[in-house]
Amino acid sequence: MVPTAGEPAAGDSWGMLACLCTVLWHLPAVPALNRTGDPGPGPSIQKTYDLTRYLEHQLRSLAGTYLNYLGPPFNEPDFNPPRLGAETLPRATVDLEVWRSLNDKLRLTQNYEAYSHLLCYLRGLNRQAATAELRRSLAHFCTSLQGLLGSIAGVMAALGYPLPQPLPGTEPTWTPGPAHSDFLQKMDDFWLLKELQTWLWRSAKDFNRLKKKMQPPAAAVTLHLGAHGF
Amino acid sequence: MPAGRRGPAAQSARRPPPLLPLLLLCVLGAPQAGSGAHTAVISPQDPTLLIGSSLLATCSVHGDPPGATAEGLYWTLNGRRLPPELSRVLNASTLALALANLNGSRQQSGDNLVCHARDGSILAGSCLYVGLPPEKPVNISCWSKNMKDLTCRWTPGAHGETFLHTNYSLKYKLRWYGQDNTCEEYHTVGPHSCHIPKDLALFTPYEIWVEATNRLGSARSDVLTLDILDVVTTDPPPDVHVSRVGGLEDQLSVRWVSPPALKDFLFQAKYQIRYRVEDSVDWKVVDDVSNQTSCRLAGLKPGTVYFVQVRCNPFGIYGSKKAGIWSEWSHPTAASTPRSERSGPGGGACEPRGGEPSSGPVRRELKQFLGWLKKHAYCSNLSFRLYDQWRAWMQKSHKTRNQHRTRGSCPRADGARREVLPDKL
Repeated sequence: MVPTAGEPAAGDSWGMLACLCTVLWHLPAVPALNRTGDPGPGPSIQKTYDLTRYLEHQLRSLAGTYLNYLGPPFNEPDFNPPRLGAETLPRATVDLEVWRSLNDKLRLTQNYEAYSHLLCYLRGLNRQAATAELRRSLAHFCTSLQGLLGSIAGVMAALGYPLPQPLPGTEPTWTPGPAHSDFLQKMDDFWLLKELQTWLWRSAKDFNRLKKKMQPPAAAVTLHLGAHGF
Repeated sequence: MPAGRRGPAAQSARRPPPLLPLLLLCVLGAPQAGSGAHTAVISPQDPTLLIGSSLLATCSVHGDPPGATAEGLYWTLNGRRLPPELSRVLNASTLALALANLNGSRQQSGDNLVCHARDGSILAGSCLYVGLPPEKPVNISCWSKNMKDLTCRWTPGAHGETFLHTNYSLKYKLRWYGQDNTCEEYHTVGPHSCHIPKDLALFTPYEIWVEATNRLGSARSDVLTLDILDVVTTDPPPDVHVSRVGGLEDQLSVRWVSPPALKDFLFQAKYQIRYRVEDSVDWKVVDDVSNQTSCRLAGLKPGTVYFVQVRCNPFGIYGSKKAGIWSEWSHPTAASTPRSERSGPGGGACEPRGGEPSSGPVRRELKQFLGWLKKHAYCSNLSFRLYDQWRAWMQKSHKTRNQHRTRGSCPRADGARREVLPDKL
């Protein structure tokens, strides 16, 4: 497994990466920010944080529409179907202490891997029966999610971490699975959207935490007031 | 076992490794919080039914330990618990449901029929697709932009709602060349439209039709036969300029350019001009502007801002006998007429109007025109006297004129005019 080069390239600027699901795992390294006199990875962490909030907002309306399309009981507020074998979905829920103690690299890697998987599944949400409107909204959301992935990759590169490469054989590929009832598919869709939502909530906290860690310590400011005539 | 997911079109499902089907769980025994290891199977799985038909469904519980019972199971349809009288315990592990006179599905993804355990947890589900087969699509209309593409629109069959997802497919073929083609770009100008971007042949008619398909059947529209050249439309004329005519307070000159995409072919193109006063919604239309690229609007109010638009009809392109399709109106261009003390009556024609008491500017202009004519043309007989006689004649026949729709016509470039001159001249 070839480690991706994480060396900063002098003078390079980076833009959004376009991540295709099938080549996600073969992304080239993103050149790091120019480190001479630059503000550090702070701005890109902030940007990633902002993106998660934006995506969360976008997802709310997309999920609402999609669940209405699935029909009741899927769009009912407390709906909680069995999570049948949804083990393949990356789980956002994690023990608080474990979450707290994650090092930066692991924190970022988990986020990156989660969204790579989720993007793949979301793309596969190709419901032939869905309206053209829904398909458009889904496509738009996928593009935004791609942007988030690129942003996370940028932060990782800025901090000198390699992008996660898959082990051979564990790549998320699209294979037509065995026959699967429509109702089961609806449940899968439900959990996908739920997990996506949970991840976006968690990521906001992840990046907020990273942001705080990267902030320079507050400089002590001393004021000398001249005592002229006061 | 139900066959693969959707219709034949969804062959390679671009989906991730799927989640385990419920059926396998009876072997693997997936743990469930609280309700033990019971799972169930509903039969039929994802059926398709006609509105008004009946359904007999069963929920068979499997489980671990064996001896799972149908006691306490209940059904919900779209989240609503079904009345117990519709259910019946068939045997120790099976609960049956009888539904009659089904309504159309509440959502196109199918009605959600769910079998619940006593504690409310979901054991199994099945999607019911209840609806109608599609009706014949109607009213296909098509147009071609600059002979380069073809866009078509249609209306779904008369009664509209089928309650099932209905797929529309626009097909076309050249009349004498056998091969069917399918349009690929849908929803370009509304939900029932399709755009064919290239590889269109001219001079041979096309046969076009729409096929509607859903789970219950399919329907095909009547075939529309058309020639691309008969349904050509183009861009609106670019570079529309509206300007004053010297100091004339009641006229504006409109000039435009022939739409560039078809400029070599627009021999017989027709144009239409419309204009309105700034704070009005009533447009005045000047029709019959044939093959000109300029026109003079007369009878306007002085000191007023006017908005003007022009559109083009590529009539007779390549010898087509049919009217083409009007382009969109050009972007509104504005201009204002010069101010004056006296306000003239509103009019709306391209030609200088007659039958009105002569106003200063018109006479002035006419004098200039006649002077010029004498020098440059062969009309040495023209004089002011002739003009006044003509005006008198016009006033007399003024009453018989149609005042409601002003139909102006612009002087043709070759200057020929067929006018009836009074006998005494």
